[in-house]
Amino acid sequence: MINLASRDILHGWGKFLFTGIGLGLLIGVTLSMAGIYRGLVEDGRVLIDNSGADLWVVQQGTLGPYAEPSNLRDDVYRSIAGLPGVADTGNVAYLTMQVSHGGKEVRVMLVGFESGKPGQPGYLIAGRPVMRSHYEAVADEKTGFHIGDRVQIRRHEYEVVGLTRRMVSASGDPMIFVPLKDAQETQFLKDNDALLNERARTAANPAFNRPNVPGLLEAVQASQAQSHQVNAVLVRLTPDADAETVAANIRRWKHLQAYTKVQMDDILVAKLIATSAKQIGMFLVILSVVSAAIVAFIIYSLTMNKVREIAVLKLIGARNSTIAGMILQQALGLGMIGFIVGRIVAGLWAPVFPKYVLLLPGDALRGFIAVMIICALASVVAIRAALRIDPAEAIGG
Amino acid sequence: MNTPAIHIQGLKKRYGKGDTAVDALKGVDMTVAPGEVIGLIGPSGSGKSTLLKCLGAVIEPSGGRMEISGQAIYDEGWKTTDLRALRRDQIGFVFQAPYLIPFLDVTDNVALLPMLTGMSNSLSRQRALELLAALDVGHRASAQVSQLSGGEQQRVAIARALANHPPVILADEPTAPLDSERALAVIRILNEMAVQFRTAIIVVTHDEKIIPTFRRIYRIRDGKTFEEAGEGRQV
Repeated sequence: MINLASRDILHGWGKFLFTGIGLGLLIGVTLSMAGIYRGLVEDGRVLIDNSGADLWVVQQGTLGPYAEPSNLRDDVYRSIAGLPGVADTGNVAYLTMQVSHGGKEVRVMLVGFESGKPGQPGYLIAGRPVMRSHYEAVADEKTGFHIGDRVQIRRHEYEVVGLTRRMVSASGDPMIFVPLKDAQETQFLKDNDALLNERARTAANPAFNRPNVPGLLEAVQASQAQSHQVNAVLVRLTPDADAETVAANIRRWKHLQAYTKVQMDDILVAKLIATSAKQIGMFLVILSVVSAAIVAFIIYSLTMNKVREIAVLKLIGARNSTIAGMILQQALGLGMIGFIVGRIVAGLWAPVFPKYVLLLPGDALRGFIAVMIICALASVVAIRAALRIDPAEAIGG
Repeated sequence: MNTPAIHIQGLKKRYGKGDTAVDALKGVDMTVAPGEVIGLIGPSGSGKSTLLKCLGAVIEPSGGRMEISGQAIYDEGWKTTDLRALRRDQIGFVFQAPYLIPFLDVTDNVALLPMLTGMSNSLSRQRALELLAALDVGHRASAQVSQLSGGEQQRVAIARALANHPPVILADEPTAPLDSERALAVIRILNEMAVQFRTAIIVVTHDEKIIPTFRRIYRIRDGKTFEEAGEGRQV
């Protein structure tokens, strides 16, 4: 038996192809939305994995350091380092900020880390690690910086000595790693005007400026000009240590909050990007409905353009299943072309997106099945209309 | 005596109910022998198309009896539940316009019918090529429908109607869009095919050019048929 659907498609291949390409662009947008969601999750997971930590110790009662502000004294690590099961600790400071470079503004997450400790960049793709105590930086390649670039961050200029990859914040901002002291200064230290103002205020406060207590005012003012805060202490455990047990010890005895990898994953994926995920989910639903409506309309139009042919086919004895099969196959064919085009364009424009777009084969497979189901459902309207066509329409009068 | 290809007795068709009911056919009688070509003529609204649709098993008559090749297909009700198969196997259709399937080539337009009966693609195409050759359009077998002239398309439509070797062909104004020369050529072909395949052909027409070619004419008026002898002019 002749495959009527394929013959019809080949006969009007131009119209069919261009319709498929149009649908494909829509499917491409849908796949990209799914890829953006996967990218968000992946960014969060990469942030956790690349930090090299097993535990995150943060300010009590907070979800820090990525989801909420958290401040700790930078000597807290000493008491944690002595706990059973702890192999290494590292202070880290995180600060999201705008950095100007070459006339362009780049949104980055500034990371202060201690060399050789948890929290340092996982790997380099170019250059060398930070070796000096100040004013050197390792930047994620997405910043667009190059080795040797000099970048102004607040009051100081930093030289980019290394580049890393896939080191981004939970919101997709590329990271710049600088020595901890520099990051603390950037995050916590006030500017000169504010310091002068603060000193004057302190001097005007009789509680700090006592004539009979020499040195008190200077000591208070000096403390205001220094920063000993970090956002978190990253902890690496010994191979035999149980993360939950060590975390419980920290919570119980150090009065700090400690999160394991699983808990941090939950914070980043379930809490931090939950709203974005819902937003993307809504877009996916709307795009799916729009795609279904477009396919239904296209297939219905294609079918209604063939009323006479369908009437003739019914008159000469073609089964309803033959006619329904023709329409269904055309809908699936359209979906197939649309999916192929959509997958290709989604792959082509994914690198252009400012945030990471992760197109998983599993998502593509699910997308393909969804497209086929949507096309099959969308063809039902056209099939119903075709089966209602009276074969008598082929006979005049 | 030969069994008639078509035998109709007292065929009625009523549209609507009650006060608004219209009797389109009021007891039509007709007999057509195998290999015979008859003309069915009448003014607009006389019931020609209704009769054709009843014969084509497209609409259900309201009463009477219809036989094809001696077998009752309707006797105060359809005698078969599969009208689709009845149309496919027993009746060929030729329309005013060829109504060929535009996305199939010439051969497949004809071969489609045998394929619908379950015949293999190769045998169906072989039969289609034989018919196209018989109708003098064999050289256009692989052409697309849109590449054919009006006359060629009508000959392909006749080949399609003959594809399952039906005992009956219903031709609804097959010469309407054609000029005199081509119209007479189509009638000549129908006559030749009727003889060659022993097919009864009913030609519905009010084309004055071709009416003199019929040996027998059924004139339909106010839902009733009146048999007349035709001129039977050679074409």
